[in-house]
Amino acid sequence: MSTILTHIAIADGKIKRSSLEVLSHCKQLADQSGHSVEAVVVDANASSFVEGIQKYGASKVYVVEDPIFKNHMNTPLLKALVKVMESANPSVFAFASTEGTKDILGALAANQNAAVLPDVSSFELMDGGVKAKRPVMAAKIISNTEAKGDTVLVSIRSGSYDLAENETSAEVANVDFSMDDSELKATLKEIISASGDTIDLNEAESIVAAGRGVKDEEGQKLISELAEVLNAGIGASRALTEAGVYDPSLQIGQTGKVVSPQLYIAVGISGAIQHVAGMANSKVIVAINKDPDAPIFEIADYGIVGDLYKVLPPFIEEIKKIKN
Amino acid sequence: MKFYVCIKMVPDVNAPLQIKDGKLIQDADRQILNAYDASAVEEALVLKEKHGGEVEVVSIGTSKASETIRKALAMGADKATHIVTEGNGDYDSGSYARILARFFEDKEYDVLSLGKQSQDTDAGLTGSMVAEMLNLPYATNAVGLEAEEGKLIVKRQGDTGQEMIELPTPCAVTCSNDMNEPRIPNLKGIMASKRKPMEQVELSSLGLNEDDLTASTTVLGYEEKPEREAGKKFEGEAGEIAREVAQLLDTEANVI
Ligand SMILES: Cc1cc2nc3c(=O)[nH]c(=O)nc-3n(C[C@H](O)[C@H](O)[C@H](O)COP(=O)(O)OP(=O)(O)OC[C@H]3O[C@@H](n4cnc5c(N)ncnc54)[C@H](O)[C@@H]3O)c2cc1C
Ligand SMILES: Cc1cc2nc3c(=O)[nH]c(=O)nc-3n(C[C@H](O)[C@H](O)[C@H](O)COP(=O)(O)OP(=O)(O)OC[C@H]3O[C@@H](n4cnc5c(N)ncnc54)[C@H](O)[C@@H]3O)c2cc1C
Repeated sequence: MSTILTHIAIADGKIKRSSLEVLSHCKQLADQSGHSVEAVVVDANASSFVEGIQKYGASKVYVVEDPIFKNHMNTPLLKALVKVMESANPSVFAFASTEGTKDILGALAANQNAAVLPDVSSFELMDGGVKAKRPVMAAKIISNTEAKGDTVLVSIRSGSYDLAENETSAEVANVDFSMDDSELKATLKEIISASGDTIDLNEAESIVAAGRGVKDEEGQKLISELAEVLNAGIGASRALTEAGVYDPSLQIGQTGKVVSPQLYIAVGISGAIQHVAGMANSKVIVAINKDPDAPIFEIADYGIVGDLYKVLPPFIEEIKKIKN
Repeated sequence: MKFYVCIKMVPDVNAPLQIKDGKLIQDADRQILNAYDASAVEEALVLKEKHGGEVEVVSIGTSKASETIRKALAMGADKATHIVTEGNGDYDSGSYARILARFFEDKEYDVLSLGKQSQDTDAGLTGSMVAEMLNLPYATNAVGLEAEEGKLIVKRQGDTGQEMIELPTPCAVTCSNDMNEPRIPNLKGIMASKRKPMEQVELSSLGLNEDDLTASTTVLGYEEKPEREAGKKFEGEAGEIAREVAQLLDTEANVI
């Protein structure tokens, strides 16, 4: 029997849903193959998340708690994960594909001499390794890949798997951790956070995304109103994050985030492949664009051909009515 | 400051592609400089213009990769090293990282700069692998760089906000294309690039053989993505179609 280890990411004092999606899938794989599934949480308040992790079937939870983990920094995180890997000795170590994960995945693989498959949309176990599907070429096609080795690291795109609760009474292993400032290779000077309590786009049920067609404050106001009535997160194309209209954390696409909400409303977005790469897995796509030939219509379930300034006000009114 | 920028030639994702028997068929001539690497070159040039120094690009690839290297030289990089390989189908990020780490082992530099990911594979592994192999402090997904005496200040795009990170040099950094708009080489730059030094290095002269580079991951084949069908398109009076779609989102799609 070998171990599948899953990393539990914490953001804003909460377990990231995408980590629990990964844990749910790993639990299922473990049950099918007779492996055990364990989890590791690294945070300034790591122990407070154990209960939440137990709900999803981990048989053991490694807890690495230290004030140094208040903010993401690669050196301490790497040190913690190396330590846990050395005691858990996993055959597979699975992560949700967050920016935090992307920051350390290659380094961890190099350090542990492990094979690694980043940013996959699905994976399964095979003899001596892992098989996975990876979207490539700006997510236009799927590459079937396999990784062989005693240890395989894999990171999974958010929304790839459903949550499946599976209450267990996991053993808790507190991992000793300390780090001198002298070991810290870099210094984190400052964090410039996006405005307040924005909705995590990876977890949003609905997203309203604004593109270059949203030209001015009036347009942005309409976007905010639509997002509000739908309780949706706001996203943006590169055209608007680049122009500084929306925070860069809201960029959706190849450079930005990959999302898969139930409802994605693209407003004034042309549908360049690099944008589509980040949202094509949304369940229902609505596009509002004045150009009937805009490529976004090729993937939209509901395409509204029209000027967003004329379409959005009655659209918002009607949704308000439905909601009441 | 001495910058080394690692650049990769990638297939143009905008070029039409086809899959036949699991193999990817594409116009072999449509190769471009990875967009993230172009941003890394641009930022190194900007910092050189401000603080002085040198920008050298390094690329691993077949003889065709020299076209991409010329482009970086035409943008303004001072010189280049081309690590020549026969093919590149069987290497993975780990193989490339081992080649780069071996190459940089005995070099002197302040900043080793890479793209945050390769536009074709979106792997995003090579940078932190090389940093780990060379035991360098590093930051990934940089959206801004500043240089100070003995330091590189990196603005990194994290999950929810930006992190300002100070790295002592020598260090490694991976760059996002959100950092800048790479310059388009002008005629003067293109002419000058032809006279700039491009050294060719064989893998064997780095003391590497195929066994050192064996990939632990393999691409078995490619397949189409399940197509998304285009749905209904609504044209007409704005208010009417807006209300109609809102109703359908409720009654048909059940998403509001
Ligand atoms: C390596 C790489 C990575 C990239 N990563 C990303 C990424 O992560 N995310 C991303 O978004 N882009 C990314 N891009 C950029 C991408 O290629 C496009 O340039 C970008 O998505 C365009 O944004 P847009 O659709 O808002 O703007 P445009 O393409 O300019 O489209 C604007 C649209 O608005 C419509 N419009 C204008 N006025 C109105 C109106 N009044 N009412 C209704 N419609 C209107 C127009 O018809 C047009 O279709 C990347 C590019 C590269 C090379
Ligand atoms: C369509 C396609 C799909 C592929 N899919 C996979 C796959 O799923 N799995 C797989 O293992 N391989 C795949 N490959 C093989 C792929 O060519 C290598 O894995 C790849 O070249 C190594 O870089 P990366 O894309 O992993 O780099 P990344 O880690 O994404 O690259 C980051 C940075 O590293 C530097 N860098 C990378 N390569 C070089 C280089 N040759 N010279 C100089 N600097 C470099 C650049 O600065 C680059 O921006 C695929 C190739 C193609 C054409």
